Amino acid sequence: MAVITTKEITKIYRQGDIEVHALNGVSIQFEKGEFTAIVGPSGSGKTTLLNAIGGLDTPTSGSVVIDGQDITRLNSNELIDFRLNNIGFVFQAYNLIPVLTAEENVSFIMLLQGVPASKRKQRACRLLEEVGLSEQLSRRPAQLSGGQQQRVAVARALASKPKFVLADEPTANLDSKSTGNLLDIMAKLSQEEGMTFIFSTHDQRVIDRAKRIITLEDGKIISDVTV
Amino acid sequence: MMLIKLAWRNLWRNRKRSIITLTSIAIAVLLAVSMRSMQLGMYDNMIKNVVGSYVGYIQIHGRGYWEEQTLDNALQITPQLRDKVQSIPGVKHLIERIGTFSLGSRGDETKGVMVSGIRMEDERQMVDWDARLLKGELLPPGSEDILLAKGVARFFRADVGDTIVLIGQGYHGMSAAGKFRVGGIVDMKNPKINSVSVFLSLPVAQDYLSAKNVVTHLVIDKAENADEKQMLNRLTTALDTSKYEVMGWREMLPELEQTILADSVGGLLMVFILYMIITFGIFGTVLMMTQERIFELGIMMAIGMKRLKLILTLIYETIILTILGLLIGIALVLPIMYYYHVHPLQLGLDQAEVMEKFGFEATVPFLFNLQLPLTHALIIFIISLVIALYPVIRIWRLNPLEAMRSK
Ligand SMILES: Nc1ncnc2c1ncn2[C@@H]1O[C@H](COP(=O)(O)OP(=O)(O)O)[C@@H](O)[C@H]1O
Ligand SMILES: [Mg+2]
Repeated sequence: MAVITTKEITKIYRQGDIEVHALNGVSIQFEKGEFTAIVGPSGSGKTTLLNAIGGLDTPTSGSVVIDGQDITRLNSNELIDFRLNNIGFVFQAYNLIPVLTAEENVSFIMLLQGVPASKRKQRACRLLEEVGLSEQLSRRPAQLSGGQQQRVAVARALASKPKFVLADEPTANLDSKSTGNLLDIMAKLSQEEGMTFIFSTHDQRVIDRAKRIITLEDGKIISDVTV
Repeated sequence: MMLIKLAWRNLWRNRKRSIITLTSIAIAVLLAVSMRSMQLGMYDNMIKNVVGSYVGYIQIHGRGYWEEQTLDNALQITPQLRDKVQSIPGVKHLIERIGTFSLGSRGDETKGVMVSGIRMEDERQMVDWDARLLKGELLPPGSEDILLAKGVARFFRADVGDTIVLIGQGYHGMSAAGKFRVGGIVDMKNPKINSVSVFLSLPVAQDYLSAKNVVTHLVIDKAENADEKQMLNRLTTALDTSKYEVMGWREMLPELEQTILADSVGGLLMVFILYMIITFGIFGTVLMMTQERIFELGIMMAIGMKRLKLILTLIYETIILTILGLLIGIALVLPIMYYYHVHPLQLGLDQAEVMEKFGFEATVPFLFNLQLPLTHALIIFIISLVIALYPVIRIWRLNPLEAMRSK
């Protein structure tokens, strides 16, 4: 069964008199354990699509059904809770809370979920170890490199045991070595934990690592290939 | 708990700004409270000087006496009346006086004088008469002498042992006349009073005025912390107001209260301006603390942090900052209040002279209590809560996507 099903979603931004059709009837399904790249030129609607799936934005029309629930019907406060318990996020940069250490950043999301302290610590340490940061547990984001920060963000995204992880251009601010490293980690976690990863990118090296490649143009899917 | 930790760490992100803010709160408390402590202490002292030493906090007269101060409006003192008054809580001493004008003369000199019949042992409970005595004795029990204020003595060129004749009108139209030996000379520390006052023992005065058991003033000395308003109310209810009038010092000395009020308003205005300034100071800090973190707040909301928790975090930040400033301010101001309470401020020479002329001690003991700093702390705390509404509103309206677009 599909984890995510979108039906004919459109998103229209209005800027004065001009209407921008950021999404133009996107219907798509994602299965459990996918490792999928959404690609396309800048302005093609990648971010808009990810935001719609992630419950950060409500489409103008169409539905986004996650595990049988249409999230376009939730209000903004219900969506906060929904995101907390169902979706892991990795953003382009500055993902982390600056005043918290790497470990606290990962623990924090479990704290919001009400996970007891001992379990939080254990899981945070294990995840940070998996992303290769067991030495940096008590560093604050400012003391970590961009690549390390993104790895903490991946660990945090997984910490809440989400149904899937959304990453909008997670490597856009990284050099190629860090990019490769982050991709290795994401691929490994996807395999080991059966975690669904959906990420947008326009970096060819990242696209090459994906198992499924969905190409957007002008808010429409123009190709959907599984490697 | 985690939110408080988060708030605490956020406060120290911009260490300099937070320290400046809480220092300014501390200084505001320090300035406002020490100024008010000085003012209120000075007023208490003025009241104690004028009211506590002679007028009394509360007086009872015969009905109509205050309007028309003649013996015919005096009251008849009875044991029942004494008991009734003394049973009111807060009444420390009940002091009886009879006062009227007479003509005094010695040799060829004649002068109007204010004759007061007093019980010296009672009066001494209110004020230190020994400090007033310049010469002779202070009407010892059974004395039939007269005590002259120094201005009167100077006028008559009278000394202890000389004789003064008083002629006047007694109770109910009786004529009054008496010859008294000068027993002592006193300095009443007030030129006006010094130029007219003479004192007799109460029974001697009553005898002179043919006014047995009659007094014009019942002066009540109240216990230190007794509530004057409450006592006034109780006395008014307890006494027959068609026969007696009960008056507080505010009613008897309206100029004193007005002087205090006028001065106090000036002080309060300064406090108000001070608080306006720190309101803007705190607001500026809170504004920046919120504004510069919009992106981060957006991320937190995006990953699933509820608005309420974000709001609480920012409220905690404001509150912690304010409370820290307040605690430091109170910790600094208490010793200052205490020091000047115990070692009153000496007024400058000019001021001292004026004060002493009016019979005031030329010192300003600061008011020392916890209520004053706590009241001011509470005001600033409430101001900070109002300021904390800013992040509340900001976050309540925050949309994570828009927030994350802000970088
Ligand atoms: N908040 C917005 N207001 C107006 N137009 C927007 C907004 N967000 C995105 N767009 C427009 O929608 C289109 C798709 O944007 P986006 O999803 O960000 O593309 P991508 O992520 O592929 O670069 C673009 O033309 C963009 O200008
Ligand atoms: Mg984008």
